[in-house]
Amino acid sequence: MPELHSVYRHREFGDHLTTLADYERAGGYLGLKEALALSPDDVLYAFHRSGLRGRGGAGFPMGRKASFLPKDTGKPTYVVCNADESEPGTFKDREIIEHNPFQLIEGISIASFAVGCERAYIYIRGEYEHQARVLDAAIAEAREAGRLGPDALGPGRPLDITVYRGAGAYICGEETALLESLEGKRGQPRLKPPFPAVAGLYGCPTLINNVETLAALPPIMHRGPDWYAAMGNEKSPGTKLFSVSGHVLNPGNFEVVLGETTLRELIYDMAGGLRPGREVKAVWPGGSSVPVIGADSLDVALDYEALNGVGTFLGSGGCIVMDDSGCIVRASWRLAQFYRHESCGKCTPCREGTGWLANILGRMVHGEGRGDEDIRLLESLFGRISGRTLCPLADGAVMPVQSALELFRDEFVRVAHEGSPRPVPMTEAPVG
Amino acid sequence: MTVAEIEQYLAPIRHEYPDPRSLIIPALKYAQGDAGWLPPEAMAAVAEATGFSQAYVESVATFYDRLYVDEVGRYCINVCVTLSCMLRGSDELFEHIADYLGLDGEGTTDDGMFTLARVQCIGACDRAPCLQVDSGVQLGPLEPADATCLIDDLRAEPAPARYDR
Amino acid sequence: MADAGNTPAAGGDAAGAGGAPADVVSLTVNGRTIEAPKGTMLVDAAKAAGIEIPIFCYEPRLGAPIGACRMCLVEVEGMRGLQTACSTPVAPDMVVNTESEVAKDAQDGVLELLLANHPLDCPVCDKGGECPLQDRTFRFGPGETRTVEPKMHFPKPLDLSPLVALDRERCIACYRCVRFSQEVAEDGQLTFQERGDHTEIATFSGDPYEGRFTGNTIDLCPVGALTSNPYRFVSRPWDIKNTPSVCAGCSMGCNVEVTERDNEVKRLTARPEPNMAVEEGWICDRGRWGYPALRSADRIDAPLLVDAVGRRKVLLDRAVNEAGGLLGGRDLRVGILLGEPVTVETGFLATELAERAGNGAGMVRRMGIPGHGLGPLRDLPGAQMHHLDAADVIVVVGGDPCAQQPVAELRLRKAHRRGARVVLAGPRPTALDPACQVLRTTPGHLQDAAPAIAEVLEGSARAIVLWDEADLAAEPDAAATIAAVVAGTPGARAIELAADVSGPGLRALGIDAPGDLLAAIEAGEVDVLVTVQADPTTGPDGDRWSQAIAGVPRVIEMATYRSGLTDRADLVLPLLTALEDEGVLVSMTGRAQRLRPAARECPDAAAAWEIIIALTHRLGRPVPDRTPAQAFARLAAVHAPFAGLSYGALGTTGAVVAASSHGGPAPRREAPGDGLLVVPCTPVFGDATAHRSDALASVLEPTRVGLAPAEADRLGVRTEARVRIATPHGEAVLPLEVDSRLHEGAAYLFTGDPQAGAMRLLPLDRGPVRAVVGVVQREEVSA
Ligand SMILES: Cc1cc2nc3c(=O)[nH]c(=O)nc-3n(C[C@H](O)[C@H](O)[C@H](O)COP(=O)(O)O)c2cc1C
Ligand code: SF4
Ligand code: FES
Repeated sequence: MPELHSVYRHREFGDHLTTLADYERAGGYLGLKEALALSPDDVLYAFHRSGLRGRGGAGFPMGRKASFLPKDTGKPTYVVCNADESEPGTFKDREIIEHNPFQLIEGISIASFAVGCERAYIYIRGEYEHQARVLDAAIAEAREAGRLGPDALGPGRPLDITVYRGAGAYICGEETALLESLEGKRGQPRLKPPFPAVAGLYGCPTLINNVETLAALPPIMHRGPDWYAAMGNEKSPGTKLFSVSGHVLNPGNFEVVLGETTLRELIYDMAGGLRPGREVKAVWPGGSSVPVIGADSLDVALDYEALNGVGTFLGSGGCIVMDDSGCIVRASWRLAQFYRHESCGKCTPCREGTGWLANILGRMVHGEGRGDEDIRLLESLFGRISGRTLCPLADGAVMPVQSALELFRDEFVRVAHEGSPRPVPMTEAPVG
Repeated sequence: MTVAEIEQYLAPIRHEYPDPRSLIIPALKYAQGDAGWLPPEAMAAVAEATGFSQAYVESVATFYDRLYVDEVGRYCINVCVTLSCMLRGSDELFEHIADYLGLDGEGTTDDGMFTLARVQCIGACDRAPCLQVDSGVQLGPLEPADATCLIDDLRAEPAPARYDR
Repeated sequence: MADAGNTPAAGGDAAGAGGAPADVVSLTVNGRTIEAPKGTMLVDAAKAAGIEIPIFCYEPRLGAPIGACRMCLVEVEGMRGLQTACSTPVAPDMVVNTESEVAKDAQDGVLELLLANHPLDCPVCDKGGECPLQDRTFRFGPGETRTVEPKMHFPKPLDLSPLVALDRERCIACYRCVRFSQEVAEDGQLTFQERGDHTEIATFSGDPYEGRFTGNTIDLCPVGALTSNPYRFVSRPWDIKNTPSVCAGCSMGCNVEVTERDNEVKRLTARPEPNMAVEEGWICDRGRWGYPALRSADRIDAPLLVDAVGRRKVLLDRAVNEAGGLLGGRDLRVGILLGEPVTVETGFLATELAERAGNGAGMVRRMGIPGHGLGPLRDLPGAQMHHLDAADVIVVVGGDPCAQQPVAELRLRKAHRRGARVVLAGPRPTALDPACQVLRTTPGHLQDAAPAIAEVLEGSARAIVLWDEADLAAEPDAAATIAAVVAGTPGARAIELAADVSGPGLRALGIDAPGDLLAAIEAGEVDVLVTVQADPTTGPDGDRWSQAIAGVPRVIEMATYRSGLTDRADLVLPLLTALEDEGVLVSMTGRAQRLRPAARECPDAAAAWEIIIALTHRLGRPVPDRTPAQAFARLAAVHAPFAGLSYGALGTTGAVVAASSHGGPAPRREAPGDGLLVVPCTPVFGDATAHRSDALASVLEPTRVGLAPAEADRLGVRTEARVRIATPHGEAVLPLEVDSRLHEGAAYLFTGDPQAGAMRLLPLDRGPVRAVVGVVQREEVSA
């Protein structure tokens, strides 16, 4: 299946669009122009019509979320772009920022016009310092050109964008933790309600969207919401970015129309397939926080519903592939370590539970497992950690491990008894 | 790092945030540029420049991986060891670098040149196995030999005037 | 009185309880239909109906729920997943199950996870036996632990301060202590560091946790992570007895719980059921760690008698007989002087004694401020502390509640956080200055703040003015003006920041300040002076008292601690402290509350009321009472402010007595002479109790003189020098503190420690006075 470059305009154009001139030459800012010709409410309606769903992980309809923001509260309204991109296996937003930053800026401008925001923030993970500088430069250029500043959204309609750098914490990708961090606090999720739409940044109505979500807006406004809605299928319209990594020969990002491509095509046709003689063993299709699926699910179409159908989620689109040289318990252990490290520590099940999971899996991998007892312990812990926390990080920590145990039970039992020697990693194997 | 210097750094961005609390992390990052980490005096200066308590500032600083409240070397070599990188040899890469630096796992070299750390996904799984020196560009995919060269090159560089972590 | 704990002093009750009836919601919990006011959180609604939902992090006094510990998960029909009962408000027809299998498994699970890294050292933990984690594990938790992983280990324990110890491995990260520090005391010192399972409580760079309220974190901690250093390993919960009582450290009247073991007071904490109308469950560190004063070396442990044989210890019975003898003569003129703390029962019995001793016309007076000119302020509608929670404007006039009535500061901060306008008018810098609006007045000129105060009150609907007894007594003109301003503000009420602990109660009995008693002594018109917890020689105008008392034929001292009178007295009767005594104290808001005896550390000491009752027997005209309760019932029958009250009516949280005032406005008084106007100040950790308690050694504040830098420059002295300060009443040599927040033209006199003799320098009525501050010659030479 062909790729379709709507968010990755630079790929369509064939070069980086890191100057405003190049971006405009590639059709940039036509979307904002269309939007400014409408009323803010009509723009909100266009978001709705497009069927665009949030690309940060949860897939919540973007237009609906934007319409939750109360109007005339007497307080400012904020648009916050979630550029934390910390989900393991996900690096799609990075490419937008590096190569097509103006499309994000234009998208933020459109969203800001729709909800009446005068200062937007891009919360970018601290590790993306290089990318943050690309954004800084692009924003400066846009400001210079009057695309940001006092009349950015028309005469007397100001908008400016602040790039706010995180400092190394996965949890700050969770929207309320992000807001806390942006407010200068420890990045720990807030109790909801109130939701950010009502009381978000500095207690004001706030629209938070992922980079990809916002970067999808310019083509939607330019070519019309119906054009967008016509792509893909009814519940999953439009294009989606997938980052493919792990045991594939050609890791990278791919923009595909939702529902039109299968996982197998993504892995084999786009990401170069596997080393000769290797077969897919496990795939985490939507970042590491989703249930893992096996080789028998490769023909699933890549859209929200179809992936749910095989017991997993589309998530962030960070597709991690492991071939049959990998050990599923070791992989699960590695992910458990990730969540243990990243748990913010606010709520008990996550703070204590992620560490416990990592400990058990670590013991198993290192040959110190207690056989079936550990398997039973694991099984009893899943339900005590997930579904009981303040934010979904803990669910994300449990899902890949729990699904792996269900799918690869025999291997877990074996490792619980015998341990798991470290496999030969891909680089040291002959690349075919 | 003096209070005045931090205030001077914050002056042009103050207006961007309705609550001065939002200045704490930018101020910490800036203050960290001086020594490459945040000694208590640096955090105290941030506290004064932003108007929040020292304990609060330290509490914020310790939450984030890339704010260092313990001394680190001239270069922080952060090797990603999360799943995608692991599958492509990050553990081996890490061990190779540790060996080369004469370290037993994570830590700082005796000469204070390098601090080696395992870190979680740095958003460059397409370049796995990858690493990041301070907050530089994500580098990869790296063969062990590439890493050795990188370290030799860093060793040859003059000390940076400011640190970007 | 149905809700004695929240009874307003006078006027309409704007704060909650008595307002418009809140909408009531009806819901089902565990199959039972219950009702709760709209907005109530599920935990509280269930609790009110007798259904316990376990919690750790929830503590409404710390602000909005944070839902962190996940202990309170319950099932709510129609809501996805489990809900935290601490943060889910009741809704009409809600169906809640706290005991379903899923809910039980959640509770079990959270406890199991909490215990995964919690050491099972309950047998050696101070909290063991009174530990919510332990209790909840028994009630709601798993039978066994399934961890084989090594638990976290920290070197233990860490001293957060000399007073508070931290066992990091016991911490369950419930946020309570951190929220207290950040959001209640607003001292910003206690925080979390690191994240995830490395999260730990810490101060900046390991500095000690300093403050006036640090001990509350111990009460808040639901496990044994924060413990009291002075109480560490002192006793086990099954060896102790806890008694609800009242702190006699200042006029706030904070409700406390006193822990006794082997007849010794081992600990003092806030009550588990706080008195929301008074201290709200927060107490200050001086009150908390003052109890070791009971065992201080200067405690009088036996009666002392001076007679022909010399000075010696005698049995109490003998001593009381001797006292009876001294007071018996028909024509003797008797004076009784009451100090602090003295209960209303003791005050009342003292008046009865005066009628039975000597010529039957004895004078009973209290050490304290006469209060001429305070009538108009005292006639204002009164408020209780919880009314501050609903006030829109709060003005503090004079004094420094942060130092004198420390816990009041926490209510003021709370009001300020809520958005109330808090204004501080007066000559002293206070701990609240950085947060609130300050109207700094020139010493002696509170009057100048009146127009600004009027402006602040303008348009307010629920203003509360806290006024300082000592400052306004010294400036009666300001008292009259400000009283008029408040009286002219609809809905405004007042709280008196009373200068001493006994004052409000003894005033309600009509007992006056001692001016005429001193005059009578000087005129040779007193044959026997009886003091009860009073040492006038170290108080205001102490030198004059000393001289006068030298001429009194007989002195009987009843006191807990040795004083300037002890060597002079013919008879010394050892008294119990407030922690050992029984009786009623009236707080600055007029709340009569019961002291209950927690222990009796000194077997040869007695309660003042006991001794006085015995004396009336010796004098052959016994009062009918055998207990303070009986004395209270009798005094309530004759003293109008207490009408209708009894121990039963006071309950555990007290009741408000009717305000009593006397006298109209008085003219302005100027301090005679020249020199700097004296501004008396009370340091928190500087009073007699703080000096006697070894637990407070690390925070003790010296008695000292404070000067503005310009004033110090003029003298050519700097901080740490010692200066001589002289008023018409006496002089003292004290350390100097230079502070740029102080006014020029004034000498700030930080009093407290009676031994340092600073109070002596003030006039008897604590009116305005000037002091000459000079360099100490000898040091000048040696320097
Ligand atoms: C633990 C956790 C981490 C997350 N990390 C990210 C992230 O890095 N980037 C992101 O866009 N959304 C992330 N999310 C999702 C956000 O909470 C939020 O749903 C998203 O920013 C909304 O934007 P969208 O509707 O455009 O997807 C994360 C969520 C959780 C629970
Ligand atoms: S689930 Fe984990 S990351 Fe989320 S709030 Fe709780 S402790 Fe923090
Ligand atoms: S008491 Fe409800 S989450 Fe802690």
